[in-house]
Amino acid sequence: MHISKISLVNYRNFANAKLIFNKGINTVIGENGSGKTNLFRAIRLLLDDNLLRSAHRLDEKDFHRGLEHWQGHWIIINIEFQEVSQDEAIQSLFLHGTGSVGTDAVSKATYNLIFRPKNDVRRRLSELIAGDNDGMSAILSGISIEDYETVFTGRSEADFNDPATYAEIVGDFKNAKFGKELDHPAIGSRVPVMLSVSKEISFTFVQALRDVIAEFQNNRTNPLLNLLKRKSGEIDPVTFLPITEKVKDLNDAIEGLDDVQTVRSDIVGTIKEAAGEAYSPSSLSIRSDLSDEADKLFQSLKLFVGETGNGYEGAVHELSLGGANLIYLTLKLLEFKYQKANQSFANFLLIEEPEAHIHTHIQKTLFDRLNFADTQIIYSTHSTHISEASNVENMNILSKVGEGCETYQPTTGLDPIDIGNIQRYLDAVRSNLLFAKSVMLVEGDAEELLIPTLVKKVLGMTLDELGISLINIRSTGFQNVAVLFHDDRIKKRCAIVTDLDATFFDTTPAAADDDALSKFKARCASAQTKGLARKAALDSFSHGNPWVECFYAPHTFEVDFVGARNADQIVGAIASVYKDPATIAKAKTELESKDIAVFGKRALLMANYEGKGWFAIALGNRIDHQVIIPDYIVEAIHFLRPVLSTEVWFHILSFRVACIEKSGLSTPDVIQGARNALASFRSGEMDLAAIKALMLVTFTSDPINRILDKAG
Amino acid sequence: MTVWVNHDLNEPQKEAIREAGSVFLVACPGSGKTRTLTFKIAEELSKLGSPRQCLVAITYTHRAADEIKERIERLGVDASRLWIGTIHSFCLEWILRPYGIYHEELKHGFSVASTNDSEKLLTELCAPYRSPKVTYWDCSFYFTKEGHTLTCQDARKHDAIDAILQDYFRVLSKDRKIDFELMLFYAYELISKNPSIAKLLSGIFPLILIDEYQDTKEIQYSIVSEILAAGAGQTRAFVVGDPNQAIFQSLGGFAITPKEFAALSGVAFKEAELTHNYRSSERIINYFGCYDLYGSSIEAASEHKTYPSIVTYDATTSKDGLEDKLVALIRYNIETLGVEPSEICVLAPQWVHLAGMTRRLVSRMPEYEFDGPGMVPFARDPDNFWYQLARIALTSASPRLYVRRLRWAKEILVELEAAGVSTSEMTPKRLLREANNIALAETDGLKYIELYFGALFSALGVDFTVFPALQDQYDSFFESSSARIARLRKEGAQFIGEIDAFRRVFRDRSGITLSTIHGIKGDEYDTVIAYALLEGMVPHFADADGSNSAKRLLYVVASRARKNLHLIAERGRLNGLGAEYVPTKVLRNCRFDYDTFAE
Repeated sequence: MHISKISLVNYRNFANAKLIFNKGINTVIGENGSGKTNLFRAIRLLLDDNLLRSAHRLDEKDFHRGLEHWQGHWIIINIEFQEVSQDEAIQSLFLHGTGSVGTDAVSKATYNLIFRPKNDVRRRLSELIAGDNDGMSAILSGISIEDYETVFTGRSEADFNDPATYAEIVGDFKNAKFGKELDHPAIGSRVPVMLSVSKEISFTFVQALRDVIAEFQNNRTNPLLNLLKRKSGEIDPVTFLPITEKVKDLNDAIEGLDDVQTVRSDIVGTIKEAAGEAYSPSSLSIRSDLSDEADKLFQSLKLFVGETGNGYEGAVHELSLGGANLIYLTLKLLEFKYQKANQSFANFLLIEEPEAHIHTHIQKTLFDRLNFADTQIIYSTHSTHISEASNVENMNILSKVGEGCETYQPTTGLDPIDIGNIQRYLDAVRSNLLFAKSVMLVEGDAEELLIPTLVKKVLGMTLDELGISLINIRSTGFQNVAVLFHDDRIKKRCAIVTDLDATFFDTTPAAADDDALSKFKARCASAQTKGLARKAALDSFSHGNPWVECFYAPHTFEVDFVGARNADQIVGAIASVYKDPATIAKAKTELESKDIAVFGKRALLMANYEGKGWFAIALGNRIDHQVIIPDYIVEAIHFLRPVLSTEVWFHILSFRVACIEKSGLSTPDVIQGARNALASFRSGEMDLAAIKALMLVTFTSDPINRILDKAG
Repeated sequence: MTVWVNHDLNEPQKEAIREAGSVFLVACPGSGKTRTLTFKIAEELSKLGSPRQCLVAITYTHRAADEIKERIERLGVDASRLWIGTIHSFCLEWILRPYGIYHEELKHGFSVASTNDSEKLLTELCAPYRSPKVTYWDCSFYFTKEGHTLTCQDARKHDAIDAILQDYFRVLSKDRKIDFELMLFYAYELISKNPSIAKLLSGIFPLILIDEYQDTKEIQYSIVSEILAAGAGQTRAFVVGDPNQAIFQSLGGFAITPKEFAALSGVAFKEAELTHNYRSSERIINYFGCYDLYGSSIEAASEHKTYPSIVTYDATTSKDGLEDKLVALIRYNIETLGVEPSEICVLAPQWVHLAGMTRRLVSRMPEYEFDGPGMVPFARDPDNFWYQLARIALTSASPRLYVRRLRWAKEILVELEAAGVSTSEMTPKRLLREANNIALAETDGLKYIELYFGALFSALGVDFTVFPALQDQYDSFFESSSARIARLRKEGAQFIGEIDAFRRVFRDRSGITLSTIHGIKGDEYDTVIAYALLEGMVPHFADADGSNSAKRLLYVVASRARKNLHLIAERGRLNGLGAEYVPTKVLRNCRFDYDTFAE
């Protein structure tokens, strides 16, 4: 049996989330604050026997903040299990409470925590006439958290992720429409009192701790003590008898010490002097109180570990942080093993951010080996290292969207070949593809190196700051990765930026062509044909998918870079390519030509001379804030970030004004005027269109105007 | 080590307990059936391997369930993995509540219509039918797998009754209510249409025990058989009863044979018998042997074996002299034979004969206490939530009652939860604590419990009026109780409304008992006095299998007695046509050397 699905409705930062799990190892990845801990908390509410019962009583803070008013709404945590069997008696009680019974054998079970208004509130809502918003508000405004109850149900058939289902079962708050059923059958049956699901299964939760030492020092949380406690119950009294006797001897010996006896008689003497015989206690003794009970004695057992190989074993607090973490995690895993041996038919291990426990080097090894039979492991991470070690098919991505969180399963609906490609790509390349807010896919090193520089120089911000991850596919096999971005999978924007490879000179073979030229012409002509075919394929691939769009350089990145009126930028880099003055001069003339056949060829020659990567680096070192970003790249950026906040625009435009000021191209008055305008733009007195117009009039030749022009 | 090793059990009892497979046990009266059942349960509880399993014991009454559960607890055995109760509770807790969402009539929630609700509704529906006149009493029915069966023997009324029942079911369905018969029918429908239910239950129950099988309805066998069959050997059955005591046949009770049950359930039974009677004198045993239908041989094994029993049969006393006769018999037993008043039981076939008699006896013999039908100010409706809560309200905290009250409190919580009340912050102990804190000076019984319920619920912070299931049962409880009190007052029981009369209901048996023959199931008394043993009453005039039914009834009456038995067929009672009732035929025909009783 394993968890196959978790649905969360209105719980903490989840407005409505669905997570899919498979048997074996599963990963939940997401940036900080995306809700990994909340998700685990939700699972623990249903399955963790160590969680106090009082935790089931939720409160206002557990409602999703996106709900304007939580009053009346329900929190639903729904876990679906698959691979259950009604033929195994060990599962019978569990399935009696949770199994979906149909005409066929039970194949699915569900278990839900529902936090909802109590019966009388639900009844009052159900009695409203549809559309009676005032009546509804009157009821809702009177609701406090005391009017809520927690119920556990099993075998629910409802798809809680479907807003229509929610409206039917809970209510349609917009139209003040509430169903007549106080207990809709789709929420399932109450779980019988006989059944405690968390006792049926074994479940261990390993928290993301950053202070392992403190855990070790606390008797309640010390994992070593927990392990020993488990054993102390099993100790044979006969084996333990000699120890008990020794403790007694020890206690007697301490009590018998002369010094102890002296103190005792001094106390007695002093009392008598002070209070007099009549009021003194009749007897008084000092006793050694070392316990002879196994579980108490076990508390004095401590772990000592040698780390350095020189034979010295230190206490846990002497270990390196990584070492202590590794020991902690190991003990928790052992605890799980012990528990698993305890006759349960399903085992769950939740590990929160293992990267918090162990060094990156060990992570991959650990998770390759962490393979308990019949155990479903779910771990959360924000480490790209661990996300590589896991199977992309067993992965859920949590993504922060506003106050809430969206969840994606990156391979839903993909065929095994696609999945294999993605898996191999992720295994080979350490990328933050799965964590990105938006993704720009490029085909080569030049783009990877230069585009960030262009953006930084022109906008004064990095791509990261803009929320764009640039990923170099190192080929034109974009689809392999772009397939991830889709309504069914990762709902993030993905821009494919590639060359169309159209020829920029006449490639018709001429009799006068030498061997090299005719080969070159043939190659260019062939590239153009291929480019067109690629465009057709990419366009049809991205057609109808709002998350993926393609942006084409008409020819080649270097050529179109120069063609975007950047001749003066590239000229500065000539000296780092050529040493011969004549060649330098020739190259300069050609690059400054207006004829694409001329500057294009030279740009390509230079790029190929040292390799495109090195050339891009050389170029990157030279370009300044006046560089012009080719249109197709600007368009790609606008696609990825369709709306930039006022604050971002303010930063960009302020940066431009500072650049202009520094270059001395404008007068201080004008600069000050622009700054004042920006301030009123920031405060909302001026809108984007107005500041756009102002920039164009004031700094007509500045490259930012082209970018502003293309902005929504 | 087995729990019963040091206890007094005979070899056949031990054998039945030890038997690893399924057992079909025919137990003669006084053979230690409950004792055997108790030790069997204790033994099996100690053998339960998985904490995920539990035993199920189905008893005929709530009282029997309570008694067995208490006995188990007294043995010091943890009874938390024992589920024991009536077949109706079983269906409710294990089938209807957990799986109701799969039944059209139940999926939107349901509540249980009490006998009182049903009576009220049926009486209303009967009103228009005057020719032939149909009353509530004609409308009794039970379900088989095929549908409902009428118990009314008068075929002329059947069309009318069917029409009434159709309306009755329609009204219940509209109100989302189910009565006790529908509980069984819907449970059967669920379990037969969704094979997984039986499969899962068979995984939870390694053993199902059935007490008093002879009074079990066919559909109940079918429900249990589905589970046994689905278990394919992993669920065993332990069936106990006595076909000679099958007195509920007119209500659908059916003493199945081991062979029939085996065919239905696929379980291979080991058949066994308990033939030692530890209750009665040899003379009494010989007497009820006259009514044996199955050729049982019963061996007297009791300490009273040789007691010189007085067995009398009086067919001469007239209806008007009956009261004097009863007084004389009671006084004779107590004052001459030294029988404790609480060890005397007066039986009659129907309630109507008893209510007035109880009160007349009370006034004739004010020095003795009486427990009888005219003495209970509210309906004994063990399935009514408020009746259950009344048990706590009308008993006081004492160490002797602690375990029992705690169990009642537990049951209360289960019912609250089922009604939709959030009980996450309640525990049985807290419930009792709050209950014990309530002190009221009210002397009117009904007012007292009304105030008590109010105080308890306000202490628990629950407004029960918003839970339809609770409110309905509340109305039903108070409505039927006030009607009952009014009626009893009119009949002369002037103190019936006092709180003392209420409290007495749950006190241990202390006075002379008056009961119907059907209500005396399983009990035993030193002296049993039965009257109105008249053809047409014993057996009921409409009973098609009259003489066998009469034999079973007399078998039950006679076998209740340890020492003395007084049978009366009084003269002068007239039937609806004005003819005098004559003594029950099988009684008249019984050849026995009766004692004579002279005042």
